[in-house]
Amino acid sequence: MASDIPLNWFLYFAAASFSIGLVGVLIRRNAIAVLMAIEIMLNAANVNLVAFWRYGNAPAGAGPLPGVILALFVITVAAAEVAVGIGLILLCYRRWHAADVDRYDSMSG
Amino acid sequence: MVQFLFLVIAALGLLTALGTVLARNLVHAALFLVAFFFTVACQFVLLEAEFLAALQVLVYIGAVAIILMFGIMLTRNIQGDDTTIVSGAWKIPALMAGLCVFGVLVFGINNAVAPAGQSPWSESNMRPSIAADAGSSKATAVRREAVNNMARTVGNELMTRYVVGFEVAGLLLTVALVGAIALAHREEDAPDAPSRGEQPARRASASPRPQAAGPSLVASEASPPN
Repeated sequence: MASDIPLNWFLYFAAASFSIGLVGVLIRRNAIAVLMAIEIMLNAANVNLVAFWRYGNAPAGAGPLPGVILALFVITVAAAEVAVGIGLILLCYRRWHAADVDRYDSMSG
Repeated sequence: MVQFLFLVIAALGLLTALGTVLARNLVHAALFLVAFFFTVACQFVLLEAEFLAALQVLVYIGAVAIILMFGIMLTRNIQGDDTTIVSGAWKIPALMAGLCVFGVLVFGINNAVAPAGQSPWSESNMRPSIAADAGSSKATAVRREAVNNMARTVGNELMTRYVVGFEVAGLLLTVALVGAIALAHREEDAPDAPSRGEQPARRASASPRPQAAGPSLVASEASPPN
């Protein structure tokens, strides 16, 4: 299937999603919402990886699927990160009775 | 036609991402996030990576979104939903930072430099062919096999070329599982939330048993994958 979508469009979409995720990390106070914004950023990076895999020519010795495998590992690490992050947030919630990141200030001087 | 489809999906994706970031109600934000994951899966389909799209739906929508939902339910904010976004004075620098990053990325995309003798990748609007009769070079055959039979190719690659990364990812998932269980297990000793004054004494008296149980559990569980 010879598609006509330029590579740039995928890159612009990923860049816009990444910026939205960054704004979300900065303006959110709830820790779980911050985690969600981080997931948006990771997904934007995955779109970039797969787009470059499909539009580019893999160098010799890289195998047929370099971008897809890297995206696969990103998904794996993101899943582990969410599991541990939710555990930590639950622990902090039991301790401080709040899920806001600016309430966790017991180490600030 | 495909371009129109892409524009619709991208617009939906950006709108749902904005909804995730801006929705005051956290449950609404999580539902917007599910929609965003689905649009990313649609992008993968447009990029002819259907296996990755299926994986995206299974892992992100099926597991990550559900975990986030459980987290939201268990840490329901006492003060209501008004405090999920920072106060107005901090919104402007955050928006400025986001716009600056977006500007830098767009600048980089538009001004890509190319190796000598090639056109820059930012101008490429045609994918490498996977047609069966297009000259049928070896690279085309490999790419066609990878696109049309992606699940098998991914399995072969994970077992041969990326076997070290595969094992490390398995170890990471095991450690994350054990860590999450250890984090959640410690709360069992203090079911009723104590007040702040007596908390250090309680934790000091209750700490030896979980501290002794935690490392041994981790060590015994993490050693078999090695």
